[in-house]
Amino acid sequence: MADRRRINGPPGATIPPIYEDASDKSVVTRQPPRSRPANAIRQTYLKTGVTPSASGSAYLEVEMAGKPGVSGLKLSCTVHGPRSLPRSSLFSPHIILSTHVKFAPFATKQRRGYLRDPTERDLGSHLEAALRGAIIADRWPKSGVDIIVSIIEGDQDRETSRQQGDEAWDMMNTLSGCITVASAALADAGIDCVDTVAGGVAALVRDDADNGKPKIVIDPVPSEHDKIEAACCVAYLPTRDEITNLWFKGDMPDDDMATYMELVQQGIQASKHANRVLVQCIGETVG
Amino acid sequence: MASVTIPGQLLGPTSKYQPGPGTHIHQTNLYSSLLGVVHVSQPVKAPGPAKRLNKITPAPAPAELPTISVSRSGVSEKREVLPEVGNVVLCRVVRISPRQAVVAILICGDTVLDAEWQGVIRVQDVRATEKDRVKIYESFRPGDIVRAEVISLGDQANYYLSTAKNELGVIMATSEAGNTMYPVSWKEYRDPETGVSEARKVAKPF
Repeated sequence: MADRRRINGPPGATIPPIYEDASDKSVVTRQPPRSRPANAIRQTYLKTGVTPSASGSAYLEVEMAGKPGVSGLKLSCTVHGPRSLPRSSLFSPHIILSTHVKFAPFATKQRRGYLRDPTERDLGSHLEAALRGAIIADRWPKSGVDIIVSIIEGDQDRETSRQQGDEAWDMMNTLSGCITVASAALADAGIDCVDTVAGGVAALVRDDADNGKPKIVIDPVPSEHDKIEAACCVAYLPTRDEITNLWFKGDMPDDDMATYMELVQQGIQASKHANRVLVQCIGETVG
Repeated sequence: MASVTIPGQLLGPTSKYQPGPGTHIHQTNLYSSLLGVVHVSQPVKAPGPAKRLNKITPAPAPAELPTISVSRSGVSEKREVLPEVGNVVLCRVVRISPRQAVVAILICGDTVLDAEWQGVIRVQDVRATEKDRVKIYESFRPGDIVRAEVISLGDQANYYLSTAKNELGVIMATSEAGNTMYPVSWKEYRDPETGVSEARKVAKPF
């Protein structure tokens, strides 16, 4: 993987050294704190039918926090199929779903390799679980469908240093985007689904500005907060009122059941917001 | 009524409609399962008085309800279809063996398939009579175009097809000399240039 024949740049982002100047304290870049309300997601752009060679495809952009008009997350999803299974596989009375999530090498601050790493596998299996609950699998016997999500830009602010922000929290946002974009691409491909599934993230954050009191926000951007205690990513079917996938991560007291429930509830709320974008987008393709 | 639905959209109660393609039932309600255009088709009334029953048939579904379906026709033409049991398909013979002919299914009903699905015509499914005297090499040759019916989804790789009907069988064949042949009987094709005839399971022309 390491390319020895070329002179490669450093694997991660570099920022010029900043020397502390007693007179000017404002040089140290610090992401401004969250300006949108706690129950609002960032602006999202979604379009289906972007890849002509695929059976279905979709493209999603989410604006960067604090910089309206600049996108932070860029995802492209293609759906190939239903197509025949390879000869080696066994008879299957329903469709076989396979999901691949791949970061572009330049998608994050830390450069990604061309091989699939454990994070990408993890995202892929979460995405598969989220979609499996939405697809009516027995409409397509003996066939397979491949869902490929390419992460072109992975929701990270290049101007913050690598120490700021934790990749684990970025993965949550990325997964929720993957679920939404894959759902749009599935609808575009004409694969039977019980509902349009969309992803949403909620997080329990602690800000110094609030005197360290924890609060729940939806669609969190890690660099906007001082500390993220816990986060959960929900894949939700709005008309069925069902959750198909739930990913919970973080540090929370065991006995605080109400906060757990509230966090999931807010995740559902975020997913409903994303679903509005989704419904409008796929409705437009026909109109 | 031509409106656009998205997956999960409520179409109506099951007491009002029958489910058609592109819909599903959840808790006595019909929902769309595709992005597409809604069609409601009224049930066809049998013309004239019904025939007196002379054989036992399973009770027909109450057909007085209109069928609601969601089709992708207005959205995209790329809708993939799968061969189903009972469909008549057109296929090309890929290879033959004494037990079976392996074919590639090209057209299902009226739709040209995007993907190539593999099918098998076993020796006992070639024709309806004298099944034990069927020889595959006297029925099909690689390169022939065959009209066949799907009888089973088959095993992991193959659909099982049958040509055991008069209208089913080889519809286009080339001779060993490489000329397109014409059918002369239910089991013979003839080369117009060399005059040599070859054995095939010939489909009856419509």
